[in-house]
Amino acid sequence: MTLVSPDSGPGAPPASRPGAGAASDLLGSRQRFARRFFAKRAVIPASLIVLAVLVAGIFAPWLAPYDPLDQSLLDTMQGPSWEHWLGTDDLGRDVLSRLIFGARIVLIAVAQAMTVAVVIGVPIGLFIGYMGGWWDRIVMRVVEAVISVPGIMVVIVIITVLGTGLTKAMIALGLLFSTAFLRLARGLVIAEREELYVRAARVVGAGTGRIVRKQILPNIAAPLIVQFTLTTAAVLLAEAGLSFLGLAVQPPDASWGTMLTTASRFINLHPWLALPPGIAIALVVLAVNLLGDAIRDSIGRGVGETATLRPAARDFSAAGTGADGAPASQRERTGVPSDAALVISSLDVQFPSPRGVPLTVVSDVSLHVRPGETLGLVGESGCGKSVTAMAVLGLVPEPGAATAEAILVGGQDVAAMSRRDLQHIRGTQAAAIFQDPTTSLNPAFRIGDQLSEILRIKRGMTRKASRRRAVELLEMVGIPDAAARARAFPHELSGGMAQRVAIARALSCEPKLLIADEPTTALDVTVQAEVLALLRDLQRELGMGMLFITHDLAVVADICDRAAVMYAGEIVEEAEVTELFANPRHPYTEGLLGAVPQAAHRGTALRAIPGVVPQPGEWPTGCRFAPRCPYSTTQCTAAPVEIDVQHAHQARCVRAAELTLDGAE
Amino acid sequence: MLKLAAQRLVALVPLLFIVSLLTFSITDLLPGNPAELIVGDDATQEQVDLVHERLGLDQPWPQRYWDWLTNALGGDLGTSFFNSVEVTDAVLLRLPVTLSLTLAAVVVALFIGIGAGLIAALRPGGWTDRAATAGATVGQALPNFWLALILAVVFAVKIRWFPATGYTPLTESPGAWLRSITLPAIALGVGAAAILARQTRSAMVGVLQTDYVRAARAQGLSARRVVLKHALKNAMLPVVTVLAFQVTVLLGGAIIVEQVFAVNGLGSLAVTAVRRQDVPLVQGVVIISVIVVVLVQLATDLLYGYLNPKARPS
Repeated sequence: MTLVSPDSGPGAPPASRPGAGAASDLLGSRQRFARRFFAKRAVIPASLIVLAVLVAGIFAPWLAPYDPLDQSLLDTMQGPSWEHWLGTDDLGRDVLSRLIFGARIVLIAVAQAMTVAVVIGVPIGLFIGYMGGWWDRIVMRVVEAVISVPGIMVVIVIITVLGTGLTKAMIALGLLFSTAFLRLARGLVIAEREELYVRAARVVGAGTGRIVRKQILPNIAAPLIVQFTLTTAAVLLAEAGLSFLGLAVQPPDASWGTMLTTASRFINLHPWLALPPGIAIALVVLAVNLLGDAIRDSIGRGVGETATLRPAARDFSAAGTGADGAPASQRERTGVPSDAALVISSLDVQFPSPRGVPLTVVSDVSLHVRPGETLGLVGESGCGKSVTAMAVLGLVPEPGAATAEAILVGGQDVAAMSRRDLQHIRGTQAAAIFQDPTTSLNPAFRIGDQLSEILRIKRGMTRKASRRRAVELLEMVGIPDAAARARAFPHELSGGMAQRVAIARALSCEPKLLIADEPTTALDVTVQAEVLALLRDLQRELGMGMLFITHDLAVVADICDRAAVMYAGEIVEEAEVTELFANPRHPYTEGLLGAVPQAAHRGTALRAIPGVVPQPGEWPTGCRFAPRCPYSTTQCTAAPVEIDVQHAHQARCVRAAELTLDGAE
Repeated sequence: MLKLAAQRLVALVPLLFIVSLLTFSITDLLPGNPAELIVGDDATQEQVDLVHERLGLDQPWPQRYWDWLTNALGGDLGTSFFNSVEVTDAVLLRLPVTLSLTLAAVVVALFIGIGAGLIAALRPGGWTDRAATAGATVGQALPNFWLALILAVVFAVKIRWFPATGYTPLTESPGAWLRSITLPAIALGVGAAAILARQTRSAMVGVLQTDYVRAARAQGLSARRVVLKHALKNAMLPVVTVLAFQVTVLLGGAIIVEQVFAVNGLGSLAVTAVRRQDVPLVQGVVIISVIVVVLVQLATDLLYGYLNPKARPS
């Protein structure tokens, strides 16, 4: 792989700030480090390989069966045999013995190069990081210049001056790699200095030496260890390469690099010779790299990239929706019109859990949205409302799976659809806008292009027509100077403008249903009102249904016709908005209404619902709200509570009939 | 874009200045008198003095640097210590060879690296991911010159698909050029491919979780389109940064791999020059390489600006 470059270590830990306190973690909880470190599968074999090199290098004269320089011109180029386990080379020297003595070269090379690198790099880095100003600027300019040259060129220049030989070459390598330690130390000090200003340690009177000793050195230890390991691997490869070129170890001395030089000369007739030293180098570099990675992952917060996998990758290879039988047995529900924009019946969403039992995050959710109507889906974060909305588009994040009796979008059952049909439905029948408009637009493309792409693909428009239509759409959502703004990138827009663009994109194919997932939460209050007004106007104009997800009851009052309240994965109450606000039938709704500032009576304290939403998997058997409910009795927790579908104003509460709850004025 | 290019070009001037200063000072850092090195051990003092003067070593340092710099800017990097070869000519003769090898290796690295990283990122934790990650870990540990030897044995000596040694210029025969460059380019490119694969994977896994990818899917664009257009352009940002650095590394690595395949590029020139302490030749190789690297950096800066609108000057 890479030869000689200060940053060629795997993952190349950047010189940027490493998490302050990484070291105190290391020192304060060695056990936890050890547990995480040894939990990695590769650590033990890798450690064994490194140990083997150490033992072979140190005890080479006792371990090697022959003198590595002993020639025997009668036994040249032999294959493996009982006398010579790895055969002999062109001068009849024992390959195994040379390999073992090569390990000694490895140790010497690493020790020399790393000493030079650390002894030069760390102090200078600490110094310029601490001093700042011109010191920092001048030294960093030189370092940048050195880094911009291919590493081997730097080494070649230094070797030109110093001459060839192992130690001289390793000094050259050490100088080269010192830049990595220099940048690391400098970055750490600068990060630490910033914090010192905050803590004002200087004002308290801590001296320079004390600051370095107490604050900087403990924090630098962990990233330095990581950098040290990764650089060691790079030094190993570089030494082999330089010896191979004849610039480091000189023949007849045995090093893995010079053994490969010999092998390369006889490669046509005796390819066997290339295997032992090559495999040795590769194995040791692999082992050191793996150890470095393991150390970094165990301590290295902020050092390099953590390559751990994140579980919630979204659906790219399978549809998130699985059909669960035929949608025939739809439960009898009041007021579900046949022309509904959206009907969800009995939606369940489950995620596999590490313990094997699937985790249910949404259970038995049923709702509908009429054309031209806005249904609010209200609840605290984590109650399952966004997942419900994503299920409508068949985009439940992997590895989650949605099952439903039916999810009808414009009369077509999304739950039973092929992936191709589902893809067709998205955008044309149902579209969505999301919470953070600045992140829901692709930062790398112009907004006009993002709109026209959809028009071209979903509506088959020509490039020219789609562009014209994109500008019209931008005008429709109230973007001033739309033709010019179409060429803007998302980062050039304000949050409110970006949300308008997102709305334009969602409406570009005139869907029957718009899913609005907290579309105003990330916006300023004044902008919120504008965006809500825009949505209301557009809805009236286009006659589409809207599923409006929010945790903000004021927004519900403002824009929704009906509202469904979700708690812990299920709908607990559903009614016309005015009815719901005036006469809540579920204690949770009452609690939510009481927690809204406008609803609280002047002079009385704002009521908060005690406790927190239970996590999926920790839901109580009976009423899920019972543990937090001021009205709960034993009957509440006895059995799962059904929602009273026969009412126009539905509630999932066994005491709904007997309780008189406070609404909002 | 033009503005960005101009900005970057200006920023590169101090860098080139520092590199030239560092490279020039090799002569003065050499232990002993370069003149003695040139004339050999059994030369008389007069001969030494003569060479000393011819090299201009009797001039003060700033004067010599100024002369050298002005000559270099005019394209004259001096003459070899040991023969009358013009350094500029010698380096420019070899440069195309090394450059074409480096570029071919970049292509190999991009192809394997981005491909493997992309496939791994589609199913994090799946078998393709584990295989790609394991492959990248091993690929990073293989010494390129050893890989070169093994490839030569297998694909040139045992099954004779490619020539074992030598280099055919592109201008002479494109087919023969491709055959002569394939094995060296793979040997050289695998290490960089491993690094790019890791980088692509982690960037892509992150991008696939972003809101704009979800929004694009919700809008009914196909998974293929979302991954290959919307996500990839964003995921390439960190990859381009790494790539710029890897080109530098590959240019250096080419020097070694060339030796294995007996390709007469900058490698053999540099190695000979170092062993003989032929300072002007070493300087020439370094300066020309740095110019190449600087141009590559400029190109990647522009590519970065294309991929990331935020990086463009407004």
